[in-house]
This record gives sequence, C-alpha cells and structure tokens, in this order.
Amino acid sequence: MAESEVNLTKTYDAIVIGSGAAGGMAAHVLTSHGLQVLLLKAGKELPIEKESRSMEWPYGNAYSGQLPPDSHSLSFNEYTIRNPPYGLGFEKAKHLKSYIGSNDYLKNIVVDERENPFTGTNYAWVRARCLGGKTNIWGRLALRLSDYDFKAKDRDGYGENWPISYTDIAPYYDKVDLYLGITGVKENLPYLPDSIFQRPTKLNCAEVTLKESLAKMGRVLTQYRAGVTSDGLKHNKYRSRCYGRGACERKGGCDIHAAFDSPTGLIYPAMDTGNLTLRTNSVAREITVDPRTGKASGVHFIDSQTMKDYTAHAKVVVVAASTLESARLLLLSKSRLHPNGLANSSGHVGHNFCEHIMGPGVTGRAKNLVGKTSTLDDGRPGGFYLTRFRNLADKNPKFIRGYGFEGGGGCTMFPRGTDAHGFGVAFKEEVRKNQGAFIGMGAFGEVLARYENYVDLDPIVKDKWGVPALRFHYKFGDNEHRMAEDMKETAQEMFEAAGFEIVHVSSRVLTEGWSIHELGTARMGSDPKTSVLNQFQQSHDVKNLFVVDGSAFVNASCQNPTWTIMSLCWRSCDYLADELKNGNL
Amino acid sequence: MSTNDPMDLRQSRREWMKTSAVAIGASLLPLPAVAAETLQTETAPAAPQAKGAEAKPAARFFNPAQHALVDELSETIVPADSHSGGAKAARVADYIDQVLRESFDETQKALWREGLRLIDAMSRHYNGKSFVNANPEDRVAVLTVLSNNDHMTDLPEVRFFIELKRLTVRGYYTSKIGIHDELEYKGNRILQEFVGCDDPTPQTS
Repeated sequence: MAESEVNLTKTYDAIVIGSGAAGGMAAHVLTSHGLQVLLLKAGKELPIEKESRSMEWPYGNAYSGQLPPDSHSLSFNEYTIRNPPYGLGFEKAKHLKSYIGSNDYLKNIVVDERENPFTGTNYAWVRARCLGGKTNIWGRLALRLSDYDFKAKDRDGYGENWPISYTDIAPYYDKVDLYLGITGVKENLPYLPDSIFQRPTKLNCAEVTLKESLAKMGRVLTQYRAGVTSDGLKHNKYRSRCYGRGACERKGGCDIHAAFDSPTGLIYPAMDTGNLTLRTNSVAREITVDPRTGKASGVHFIDSQTMKDYTAHAKVVVVAASTLESARLLLLSKSRLHPNGLANSSGHVGHNFCEHIMGPGVTGRAKNLVGKTSTLDDGRPGGFYLTRFRNLADKNPKFIRGYGFEGGGGCTMFPRGTDAHGFGVAFKEEVRKNQGAFIGMGAFGEVLARYENYVDLDPIVKDKWGVPALRFHYKFGDNEHRMAEDMKETAQEMFEAAGFEIVHVSSRVLTEGWSIHELGTARMGSDPKTSVLNQFQQSHDVKNLFVVDGSAFVNASCQNPTWTIMSLCWRSCDYLADELKNGNL
Repeated sequence: MSTNDPMDLRQSRREWMKTSAVAIGASLLPLPAVAAETLQTETAPAAPQAKGAEAKPAARFFNPAQHALVDELSETIVPADSHSGGAKAARVADYIDQVLRESFDETQKALWREGLRLIDAMSRHYNGKSFVNANPEDRVAVLTVLSNNDHMTDLPEVRFFIELKRLTVRGYYTSKIGIHDELEYKGNRILQEFVGCDDPTPQTS
C-alpha cells in the first residue's frame, strides 16, 4: 500500500482518531465511500510483521520468549497492593508494562505504564499504542450480541435499553463476518446468534466429553468462535487462511494474519483505495471546535517524538481511540461552548463505565487422556466457548444478567502442569504424561453499567506529553461479586459432572480491567439528557462528531465486544457518509 | 541418608549451619543475609566499558564451580531418563546463568549465591560430601528435604529451591530437548485440517 503525505492545510472529509478495531473499520468504510480520510494514531511506527513471531521457537529467542530483564510487567498482587500510578517502586525496570506485556512477543505492542500514568482506583488498564492497537494481541473470540442484551432492561428492569435492536445490526454483523472471516459452528441460540461461519476448528477429546456432559444439563459448549479466517479471504491479499500451526496462545499477533488484526484486515486495504492518509506518533489532545457553529473543526495533536503541536482539519471527526481514551479526549476538549467537555451536555461522558468481570474458573484433568501421545491442540485459535445459561428462561435469585466461559484443553508448547509437586524422574514423567490431559475454563461476566462507575481527568498528573491523565472511580459491585461466586460453583459442578479430576478451582476475582473489555463511557441512547450518542454513534450535541468504539455500548453483555464494535461502527459510518453527502453534517 | 527419613528442616538446619560455618567460613552467618548481600567476589568482574556504552553484564554469573553445581542441581530436578535427555543436556545451567547475569534484581542474584552455598552445606552435613561429589541418591535426598518443606518460605534455602525449580523448568521446557524430545510437541507446522477427537491421528495412541 502507498502511504500518502499528510497535508495539514487541507480540510479532510473525516479525521479518524485511533487505528484499532473501531478506527480501522471507520477508515475502511469511509474510504470505501470515497471520502478523504486522515487517520491519526498515537503510537509509534511499529513493523507489526516483525513483531508477530508466531513460528519462533523459544530456544531461538534471546530470552526464551520471556520479558527481557530490563522490563517488568505488573502482577495481580502488584495491582492489588499498590495504587495507580503504578510506576513507583519499579525504579530498576527500564520498562514497566501492564500484566499482559509479560513476554517478549507483546513487549513492544503495549505501552510503557510510566509514560502513560493514570490515577484513582486500581485498574489493570491495557493499552496498545501502535498501528492496529489491541487487535494485534486480542483473544479473537468473536461473538454477536442479541436482544437479550440490547433489550436487557425489558427483561430485568435494570439500566437502559440500546437504541437499536438485533435486526438493526444483524446485516452489519454479516458484513463483518464476510469481510474479515470468522470460524465457528451454528447453534441456533436466540441469545447468541450465529455468524456466517467459515470452516470450524475441532474439539479435542476432553472438550467433547465436557460438551456431551453439558448437553445433559441443557447447556451449550461450542467451538471457539474466532475472528480468524479458516478458509481464506479472496478479497484480501494481506491475510492467509489459518493453518492450525501452533502456539496460538502466544497472543503476540499472527504472522500470517489469519487472525484478524486491524492493519491487514482493514487499514492496508483502505490505503489501497488511495483515500487514506496515515499519521503516526500523533497524540490527539483536543478536538477543536468552531466557535461560531459549535461544531467540530479538527484535531489538535502532539507529535510524540518531536513534542511539536499541530492541528488537522476535517468536516467530520470520528473518535475511535478506545473506550477510555475516547472519553478522556472528549473531556479534554473543553471550550466556551462545551464547558464540560465535548459532547457532554448530559454529563454522562466517562460514566456508565462497564466491562467483564473475570477470574473464577476451574482446571481439571481428563484421566482417560493421561499418558496419551502428544497432540496438536494449540494450533487452534481457541478451544471452546460455553455459552451463557443464567437469567435466560430462569431468574437467578442472587444476581441479574449472565456469564459465559472460555476454555480449552490439550497440549501446549509450554506444558501445563509444571506446578506439580516434587522433582526428578517422577516429576518429569508426570509433566509428560499429563500434558494433553488438562482442560480449563474461565468465566467472563457482565459488569452492570452504573453511573457512579466513571473516569474523569486528574487535576495534577499528566502523561509524558503533558496531557492530563485519566482518574478512575471504578469498582465491581455486589451483583458482580455474587455472580463471581456462582461462576466458581458452576464451573466446579460442570467439571465434576464431566468426570474430570479437579486440579484447581479459582474463586479469585481479578483486578478491574483484567478482561480488557472496557465499555460504555459515551453511551448511545435516544434521550440526549441521559446519553451521549444517538443510535448512529453521533453526538447528540455536535452533529459532525462520531464516537465509534466500545464507549458507545449501553451495557457490556457477557459476550466479547470486538465483533459488535466493528459492526456498529460499519453501520454508523454508512450513515455518516450518507449524511455528509446530503449536507446534513 | 534415606529419603524416607522424617526430617525436621528447622531443627536439623541448626546443625548443618554449624558444619557449614566451619567448612565454608563465617560469611554464611548470620542469617538471613540474603536481601542485604552485595556483589560477591566469585562473580567475574564486569568487562571494561566503552565510553558512552550502556553497562554490560559480566560475561558469566556463575564461576566454574558454581556452574558445575547448578548443572548437577538442575539435572537432579529434571534428570535424563529412558525417554529423553535431562537439564544438563539441555544446557539449563547456561540458561539460568544468562537470566541471572542480565537480571536487574539483586535480591534474586543474592538468593542464588546464598542458595548454592546453603545447598552445598546441606550436602556436606547430610552426605559428608559436596553436592557435586555426592552420588545421585544422596543429591535427591538433599533436595527432597527442601521439596517436602517447600511451605517454609521464610528459609532462604527453601526459597532457593523454589527458584531453582522454576528456572530449571522454564529453561528445560523451552529447550530443543524439552520441546521436541521430551514432550514431542506437534506444533509449528502447517496442517491442512484441524485435528480433533474423532480423527484417527495420534489422539488414540
């Protein structure tokens, strides 16, 4: 693809801020409508092809795949016993990373915590400032939402309904399926609609045992629905089909891009239209406003390397910086006409912050698989997804909403089970014989959207570029903790019913933020008094401002958000292009 | 000594502490000295630095005697057996040396130095020989004491054992021998079809 020069005297049709799932999708859709788009990304130029070393053997890596010794990644304990900003106490580490940056394959993708501080309540905030953002390291579980989610208020009275129904977004889910590729199996579940699936992965024997046992309980285990092309995509020359090779759990990107990432899936094709201009190292610090009209006029940004200030101009501004960064940018964009920040006459920007709670889960051992020959199980993008079963037909007395489990079993490049007691010949043999017999799963549950869970700007602390840091006021509530109790109990019950030997049951709730599914800080709605965006992710206050990432979510549901982020974004950008053509923006 | 002997680590360590003080010198005491310990002379001095260059770690963390001891310790943790080579063949001691010489964690480095001396002191006490000179059964016996007491993490020798096992396991199962010979890992090759439970391929051996 050819990279065109950035022209700061030009008024672009649209500026897109961010290059992840949402920013990439906005760039794709808007350029395909023939619009001239400038994409600003805060991250450094990172040759992601070199970063993705999917086939590298640990013994071919200088640190056996581990984080280099001059770097430290925060542990669960450190998130718990320390308070943000987390930099203090790690003076010896040259680079400080969030928990997920704990190996050599992710270290350059996630940000340095010390350059990007935040304050307030504990939060395991994972940020990736490079082309493609977190799509370079995502878990790839690609699920749809349903009216059980969009109209959840109708079912239990809590919160707000989305301003759309499943039928509004379904055609766009289809478009995303076909454009990016997804693997899975049709299940015909009303609460978890099917996608247009490519060739599915296969379950291993322990997973089949669990599936059959669950079926007797009326619960559904299905192959991991992965945003991975298993048949290939004829229209995309940058991506290969999945060859089931191995080490998929490494998560440092897929070097053949069978797994979706925003650069190869969306941005490179958008550049091929000739309508996309990219600017790297561009830290957006304010959306500028025309004082006469109150409309957005462009973006004020800092070059992260030279520290120089620039302003780019456009007819429309599309914010896709990720849920929390987008809220931060709106709050930073204060002006006489918008004293509480841009698009914030409702006071809801930064509020209704929600995500998924995780931690509870179970590890078991399928005794009939002990001692079997090694099998290639980690060449699959994932093992299984155990779908939600709470508060569908029944009503749980302890909590509302639901949770699902992600899990898998079988052999991995680095064996499970090395925490076995002892040493010597017996230990070695135990690790070898059990390596394919382990199976485990962990829950992801809906955290309720609550106004009192929010972020605002810290009055003192600033990041490396002098931009005020985000301050968290966020805690899991009673509903989440009661749900977590239930997760632990059902996980154990289901593994026992399947006849697995229970190795470990985890009841520990991981730090807020651990799921990397933060959502809701600029929610959609039909009432401008209680929502930030309309159903097309367009600001109620500022007609030429769109916020197309996870911040638009009205609730978190319990399904992973990436596929919904992209489908919503596609729908909104179609609308944006029409409105721009019709002179309505 | 027999590995079946019930062992009170706390009681017996008083005795081998005495022995070790005689055998190795008083530098071992008082305990715990681990956190406070500074760089010891047995580490090779850092190579002279080129002007402006970043500080480079010493060529080796372990001296030859320590390296030989780590070789035998790691081999005791993951030994060669009829199935595949062990930690020695997989050069786990070299791996650990690299981790430590590049580590910025002085506490971790001090734990290794102290731990190696404590282990040797234990071996001299229980077996009358250094760990390297003890026979395999006697080596196993020393580590069994620590493994059976691995909840006593206030004791530096126990913390050292846990660290020794952690790095040995990490080094071994990321080595060629560990991945290919021992575990016979099937990945990193191209498949036409995903392998599943129903397939006649290795799943049912």
